[in-house]
Amino acid sequence: MIARDRNWLVIFAVCVTLAIVYPFFADGYQLTVIRDALIFGLFAASLDFFWGRTGILCFGHAAFFGIGGYIMALTTLNDAIPLGSVLGILGAIAGAAFVAAIIGYFLFFGGIRGSYFTIVTLAMGVICQQAAVSWSSVTGGDSGLIGIPPIAFDLGGLHVDLSQDLPSYIFVAAIVAVVVLALWSISRGRWGMVLTAIQDNEVRVAALGHNAPLRLLATFVLSAAIAGLAGALYVCMAGLVAPDLSGLLLSTEVIVWVAVGGRGTLLGPVLGAIAIQRAQQTISSFNPSLWPLLLGCVFVIIVFVLPDGILSIYARLKSLFNGRRPAQ
Amino acid sequence: MSDVLLQAENVGIRFGGLQALEALNLTVRDKELCCIIGPNGAGKSTFLNLLTGTLRPTSGSVRFLGHDIAGLPLHRIARLGIARKFQIPSVFPSLSVEDNLKVARWGASSPVRPVGELLDLVALGNRAATLAGELAHGQKQWLEIGMALAIEPRLLLLDEPTAGMTPQETLATAEMLLRLKGEFSIVAVEHDIRFVRALNCETLVLHQGRRLRSGPFHDIETDEMVRDVYLGRR
Repeated sequence: MIARDRNWLVIFAVCVTLAIVYPFFADGYQLTVIRDALIFGLFAASLDFFWGRTGILCFGHAAFFGIGGYIMALTTLNDAIPLGSVLGILGAIAGAAFVAAIIGYFLFFGGIRGSYFTIVTLAMGVICQQAAVSWSSVTGGDSGLIGIPPIAFDLGGLHVDLSQDLPSYIFVAAIVAVVVLALWSISRGRWGMVLTAIQDNEVRVAALGHNAPLRLLATFVLSAAIAGLAGALYVCMAGLVAPDLSGLLLSTEVIVWVAVGGRGTLLGPVLGAIAIQRAQQTISSFNPSLWPLLLGCVFVIIVFVLPDGILSIYARLKSLFNGRRPAQ
Repeated sequence: MSDVLLQAENVGIRFGGLQALEALNLTVRDKELCCIIGPNGAGKSTFLNLLTGTLRPTSGSVRFLGHDIAGLPLHRIARLGIARKFQIPSVFPSLSVEDNLKVARWGASSPVRPVGELLDLVALGNRAATLAGELAHGQKQWLEIGMALAIEPRLLLLDEPTAGMTPQETLATAEMLLRLKGEFSIVAVEHDIRFVRALNCETLVLHQGRRLRSGPFHDIETDEMVRDVYLGRR
């Protein structure tokens, strides 16, 4: 195992340990705050899986978060659908993946890359938000849908009820840990290495017999599916869904979370999302208008001082320590 | 003629008002080594792009194992058994030498050679863990040849494999290809005459998009018209 992988596993183990012990010290409100931040972290990890591995920026990723959220809301609010929570989550994942597959097919096989891809996905986000506003008979228009019940189901003797703070926190934390670990395993294996090669030189990869557009499409679809899952979890925890969840602001925020946490690290964006969410709540409680200004400053500082994100602090300190030790 | 791998018949291509190539013929048989030479601007790389299906000819046809390959996606052409080395060294700088070869191997329908053997073939055994972006220019060229070999092609097309190499590296590359002769068919596009002399194989000379001469290299080398073209007298 190479040092970079070992470092990642150490940080992951520390994060999981902190997530396990946190409920012993936190009250119900604090648990829900971290739970919601973890959901946004999952959303950030989904973007990072695509952006970090392929180098292609999706500027409308919130569209998939919103699609997942609306499908979950519509499924669970319909009493006629049995096992609404389970079908809602599966539908959210499938719906986001389906939309990504349709859009991605035309983009990747049409040779759309780089800033052109970014612009098209930005437009996709705007269209999704507008659709959520305009299709009011289904989506509730500007006000969205409220009264979405918490996840609860009985399946094969397994009773799950996430109406309480602690079970919902454990459920979300477990999903985030499993998904991030799975994405990391994919990234460091054969699939991830070919994606790195595509990022370096797509024509060369194709000339070696790899179907590069298909690999990019599969990565995009998986990334969108996870964003859909995050959206589904969020609306159940928040109890509402609104057009903002698929909007440009959230698409921009998730890019900031990934950049601050460290693009290509998967774990960094989760930590970046949690850190920024916490900071936003703390600072906004003093002065709500101060937060956007501070967020912009933090983003600029991170880009200049820590271009690889906050997760690179650990590697930097480690190499600094290892570098000095022989001289002592 | 069942051993014919690649056949280009009366191939030509026009870009707008410019007739870049005209009425070119080339037959490559199984395990044959041949060179395409010519001065700068003769149309060598364009001809190679036609042979690999990257460009579609405006006249004539290119067939590989009987299939028309023009316009096929690159990965399908590779899977048919055509590997290409690009003119500018085209490796994955973020990956190690070993990982470059692994990615190449994974693209093959049925990879045969282990990575260690490929490393030895291209004389990079001691650089396996080095990032490809940190290799010297000549080593990048060798790595790219190794990557092309990794997909176990029937036909290896090399676009100026010795560009930017020292004379020693050029000769080492020629020796490498001579060792591989008999395993694959190889077509090398080159304008370094020392390299072509070392290979001493069937040679097609292009000039201004047309065939000037073709035949064994020792005949080509002594041809007055070829000498004139290379010395710039025509």
